[in-house]
Amino acid sequence: MTRKTTFLVAFTAAALMIAGASYAQQSDPILAQARASGLVGEQADGYLGAVPGASVSADVRGRMDQVNIQRRALYTRRAAERNVSVNEMAAAVACEVFESRIAVGERYRDETGQWRQHTASAPVAAPSFCGD
Amino acid sequence: MRTAMLSGLAAAVAVAGCIPVQIQAPDEPIEINLNVNIRQEVIVRLERDAQELLEQNGNLF
Repeated sequence: MTRKTTFLVAFTAAALMIAGASYAQQSDPILAQARASGLVGEQADGYLGAVPGASVSADVRGRMDQVNIQRRALYTRRAAERNVSVNEMAAAVACEVFESRIAVGERYRDETGQWRQHTASAPVAAPSFCGD
Repeated sequence: MRTAMLSGLAAAVAVAGCIPVQIQAPDEPIEINLNVNIRQEVIVRLERDAQELLEQNGNLF
């Protein structure tokens, strides 16, 4: 193998890895669309939920369930490492999500179970269990 | 005998002392805020972890 080929192989591998990583970071566009149109939203318990009354397709519901299952796995692992309950780890993530990851127009469910909408005049209200 | 009488008296006083104590159930449930505080403290402590999970799992949030 010439030096040039070695370089090419290494370069291609690196490029593929970067592409793979950025792909993994991409959120599901179909779910993103459902969030933007207010069909599903973030909840104060750290999971996604379907807005009542919204007609959520089986496809969207399935994707939402998949995300929630994976979130739960993440929460469970980190909770075990930190010696806290899964719900607490999930709530801590919800605090971060409520702080910065709910776009204007999106709906979200607060800790009392009430669905609200983030609008220009109504910023997202952080759950009371979050610190300041 | 005298000791017995005294201790009997003491017992009687003790019993009598106990009777007037009436425990009334409060009209409203007692609020226990301790739990909430512990929870909030834990969540504040988990802030870095939460941020990390979000950053490393952009596909899930």
